[in-house]
Amino acid sequence: MKVALVGQPNSGKSTLFNAVAGYRSLTSNFAGTTVEYTHGQARVGGEVLELIDLPGLYSLTPTSPVEEVSRDYLLAGDWDVIVNVLDASQLARSLELTLELLDLESPLVVCLNMMDEAARKGMTIDTHALQTALGVPVVEAIAARGRGIIETFRTAQDIASGGSRPHAFVYAPEAESILARLAEKIAEGALECGGSTPPWNKAQQERSIKPPLWSDAQQERGVELLPRNKAQEESGVEPPHSKALRALPCTVLDCSSNCCGHGPAVEGQQGPRVTTAVAELPVLPPAVSPPAALHEGQFQSPITNHQSQLAVFPPPRFRALQWVQSDPRQVRREEPEMAPMVEWAQAGIAVRTGQPADAAISSARHAACLTLFERVAHVARPRADWREQVDRLAMHPVWGYAVLMGVFLGFFRLIFDVGKLGEDRILNLFDALVAALAQHMNAQGALFAAAKGAVLGTAGAVAIVLPYLLPFLVGLAILEDIGYLSRVGYLMDAAMHRLGLHGTATLPILVGYGCSVPAVMATRILSTRRDRFIAAFLAVLVPCSARMTVIFALVGFYLGANYALGIYALNILVVAVAGHLLALIWPEISPGMLMEVPAYRVPAPRVVALKTWWRLREFVLVAFPLLVVGSVVLSLVDFYGWQHGINAALSPLTALLGLPRSVGLTLIFGVLRKELSLLMLMQALGTTHVLGVMTAAQILIFTLFVTFYLPCMATLASMMRELGWRLTLAASAALLALAIVVSLAARGLMLLL
Amino acid sequence: MNLYEAGDHAELRILLITGGWEVRRSFNQMGIQPGDRVRVLRRAPFGGPLEIDNQGTHVAVGKQLAEKIRVEVLP
Repeated sequence: MKVALVGQPNSGKSTLFNAVAGYRSLTSNFAGTTVEYTHGQARVGGEVLELIDLPGLYSLTPTSPVEEVSRDYLLAGDWDVIVNVLDASQLARSLELTLELLDLESPLVVCLNMMDEAARKGMTIDTHALQTALGVPVVEAIAARGRGIIETFRTAQDIASGGSRPHAFVYAPEAESILARLAEKIAEGALECGGSTPPWNKAQQERSIKPPLWSDAQQERGVELLPRNKAQEESGVEPPHSKALRALPCTVLDCSSNCCGHGPAVEGQQGPRVTTAVAELPVLPPAVSPPAALHEGQFQSPITNHQSQLAVFPPPRFRALQWVQSDPRQVRREEPEMAPMVEWAQAGIAVRTGQPADAAISSARHAACLTLFERVAHVARPRADWREQVDRLAMHPVWGYAVLMGVFLGFFRLIFDVGKLGEDRILNLFDALVAALAQHMNAQGALFAAAKGAVLGTAGAVAIVLPYLLPFLVGLAILEDIGYLSRVGYLMDAAMHRLGLHGTATLPILVGYGCSVPAVMATRILSTRRDRFIAAFLAVLVPCSARMTVIFALVGFYLGANYALGIYALNILVVAVAGHLLALIWPEISPGMLMEVPAYRVPAPRVVALKTWWRLREFVLVAFPLLVVGSVVLSLVDFYGWQHGINAALSPLTALLGLPRSVGLTLIFGVLRKELSLLMLMQALGTTHVLGVMTAAQILIFTLFVTFYLPCMATLASMMRELGWRLTLAASAALLALAIVVSLAARGLMLLL
Repeated sequence: MNLYEAGDHAELRILLITGGWEVRRSFNQMGIQPGDRVRVLRRAPFGGPLEIDNQGTHVAVGKQLAEKIRVEVLP
């Protein structure tokens, strides 16, 4: 049995998932995307459940690629039951997704998570009343403390095997008849397999309908929350709101029937806006010329085959809702055949409600949620909350930035202290291994060279991963789960705007100071391809810890710490200019920051551990093979003495920058691993006393070039994954050009001085 | 008056969300709709975002978006 876990971000969905599925779970990408979901198995009551933890989504009308993929997964219907996880302390808002899920008219269980949090906010929730109103089972839970988890999955099992299917909510009665017409057309199209099948419906499924288990409870619902089918069945076809419908002004839909007579009287009450809307209504396309659909007795139930054993999934009414709420421009562009129909429906709803169709539907749903909330929840005075005090400091216009600096300085300090401890030991270990190999193999052979390369490549990979990346990822997961990263986004939004980005892009760039690989991975949280590209480019431009080693070991050591800090200052300037330029080349379309600021939470160790493990595994899979293979190749280059050829090939570049010819190869090594350029420099020059061979100016230029030129191989691999090869190639070319420009400028400046 | 111009800590009611489909959709996702009662909790410096409280949900709203929300001050 497949259980899909669906919930808004920060609803504790993953905590629920991890509590039962845990370390045996896997992360996978949705086909053809970088969007990940987690899946795993859990044994509940003797049955193995397959759990799918979808990325958080606020609604089924997505605004980000992540949400889009989750929505598409749901609509493909490859699951038996949905568990909708709600943050009980945000009940009113969370219910909006629940109502949309009800529109799927498929087995659904609501898990009311974080009941403790709700209690802290002074909320008491009548779960029974909520269950009655929604018509689906509602289970209380505190997933972080392991409460209600098994009950949730047991209920899901019961619901899925009982075949109970909830009814959709009628939240926008004015729109219902138009939706019914649209749904009917869609259903016809779907059965004929016409060209107007929406993209998500490719994996259309047929599902059998069984009588709902929960229908007895539905009589208790109020009028505005009446399930459509029930209402129609009881009142003998005509739903209670259809009278109101007919009293509304004429629409194109109505005009072909004989109800036009009473239009003007009502229009007067509706104000001039409605009248203009009527005037602007498009001509109804002939293909969908409606019959007297709104006539008494002919009102069509959106689920036309409710009594039959088979139904199309997703239900036609749901699809009609999706179409009506979609962006008309996008419909016209992507589904031109569907466009006239959709525009007709949108115009009709706009006329009846006096607002755009999508706004009409969403505000009606919002209102239904608030009504529902007021009915089932009571809010007393919240208990005094220390977290509000924390935000007074952490989000303060002055002290907030001090806290931010402190947190990140402390964070990086910790990583380097921990990392340094581990790195030396690990490298020593591998050096000993190479020495041992040398004793057992022909130390002059090509095989030994290759083996040595493989061992050193592994050493490099392990020496980055274990000591630096591990504490970094743990720290990042903790900061993320506490909820601090949203505060960082809030504080940094204004500054990031100058780089053509939003506050949410702060994280990848800050992470870039540690390591470019997780920084590039972190761009995934951004909603547009443009933002992801700019953020990744700038994050890669920022000197990572490996480049920091080069900067401090060369410039810091030979020229003094002030020069080293000067490189950092110059880098910030270059990042700012590059961000500005990129924003000019690729202008912004996203409207600005709109981000939930979640309440602070104590991170669950299990979730932190799992997050770290998944990210670490991803890095290992991407970077390890590249590092090992690259290292073997370079060993062989060294063995066969090809470095002269490479140095000759790179001589135009080294000559241009005024560097010794022998540093050419080190730049190639630098692509493999940035700090290798330091080691190889010393090897290439045949001395550890660099100042004896290179001038101070040459050291500075070399370091500048290494700081800005191509990112390392592991970073390039993650960029390929996140951005695709075209943008990676474009970014690499731009970085190389930038490095040359900066180094040349430095050279020219020094010649002048 | 738009949301960005509204004073901190005052009880406000959202009258209208201007702007196109994307703007409405983004606000809808955060559970922000005309008719809602909101309060500005604080604002980031240098034209940064506002933090607003909407029925216990805290949302950071950038300046450009905040200017698209028309509000009235509740007595």
